[in-house]
Amino acid sequence: MSKRSKISLSEDELVLALRRHEKIAVEALYDMYSSSLYGVISRIITDTAVAEDVLQETFVKIWHSFASYSTEKGRLFTWMVNIARNLAIDKLRSKDFKNQNKNQELEINVTFIDEQRNTVYKPELLGIKDLVQTLKADQKEILELVYFKGYTHVEAADELGIPLGTIKTRLRMAIQQLRKHFN
Amino acid sequence: MEDIKSYIESGILELYVVGDVTPGEKLQVEEMASKHPVIKAELEEIERSMELFAAVNAVEPPAQLRDRVLNSLLTNFSDDNNFPTKHPQPVKDNVIAMPAPKANNFYKYAFAACLALLIASVVTLFSVYNKLQDANTQLVALNSSNQKFSTTVRFMDRQLSIYRDTSFKVIRLKGTANLPKGLALVAFSPAKNKVVIDLADLNMPVNDKAHQYQLWAIVGKTPVSLGVFDKTDADSTVMKEMKSVEFANAFAVTREPRGGSINPTMSEMMVVGTL
Repeated sequence: MSKRSKISLSEDELVLALRRHEKIAVEALYDMYSSSLYGVISRIITDTAVAEDVLQETFVKIWHSFASYSTEKGRLFTWMVNIARNLAIDKLRSKDFKNQNKNQELEINVTFIDEQRNTVYKPELLGIKDLVQTLKADQKEILELVYFKGYTHVEAADELGIPLGTIKTRLRMAIQQLRKHFN
Repeated sequence: MEDIKSYIESGILELYVVGDVTPGEKLQVEEMASKHPVIKAELEEIERSMELFAAVNAVEPPAQLRDRVLNSLLTNFSDDNNFPTKHPQPVKDNVIAMPAPKANNFYKYAFAACLALLIASVVTLFSVYNKLQDANTQLVALNSSNQKFSTTVRFMDRQLSIYRDTSFKVIRLKGTANLPKGLALVAFSPAKNKVVIDLADLNMPVNDKAHQYQLWAIVGKTPVSLGVFDKTDADSTVMKEMKSVEFANAFAVTREPRGGSINPTMSEMMVVGTL
């Protein structure tokens, strides 16, 4: 299998190209973000076929509602990952999906970083992967629930049986820890 | 400055980045970020961290999904208002829509033609039938007139044969006091013993159902019955042959009860003529 070279643009270039509805923008968008978005979606929805559908729906929605994105409100990925997470959670909570997958919501004990998954090999992230492992268990847990399970912090507090304030602090601490490593 | 610091430390910015805020909180964060560069910088940091975190945890989607997604986006390139946001058509869908069957107009037109032909046929048949009826009526009329004509011809032929026959004597029976204008023609052939009465030239009133006229031959002084006849409304074209007699001095017609009488009722004598 010959590996196709992926298209990569700077975020500013990408946003500009997307606004102009250029074909290359769509390809670049997919190449740059599909794996990150799929990482989030596939952890919320374990059914591969449904997760793939949600990824497609995510890109359709991004493309369709791109006019509502503004660089002043934050980074492109933040906007996109929230679309992906919302679509995934909507799908997860939709009636017909619930009926098919009654056990879905009980599966919150998956390993934080799933080694079996087809995770992306990126040299620039080599060291960081190890550093993520240094997160404390409770920090991993809160990140997993909020970022990869689609819990609101209120639901997470309920799930873990700890006060709301603690949840917020714990989430902040976890992200602070990541920042230390990433910077 | 303290406020900003505690706002940052409240954890609301992290929740904002993971999308776990109410619309009100969202507006507030965005407003704070636009007012305070410190907050904006903090947000940017959190966003970058989460983006990297997501990159670390990225999962490569199946290779064929790329084409499927790109196709679903680029198919609607020119018209991105019509995105099938709910159920985008999967490219791997192996159900291929058959092209709409080309409308075959032949049977439609054939049917119309048949119908038109049928209507035309019915109309023609009807008019032909009417003509046939007319022809039939005419034929019947012609037939009857022909029959009438042939009857007339036969009568005239017979009348002529009798009148031209020199053995026949034609006796004009004239009206009596009972019927002053009465007239009857009787042809008598003593040689052939034949008596014929011409009902066509009979000038006598129509007899009722109870009566008939009776022709008598007066032989010497004795009246001999030669039979009864009727005078009808219709034009009669009959040379009626009566009973035969060898000799007669005179002929007379009386009105008798239907069937005739043995002896003539003299008071009812209508016409009489002597040889």
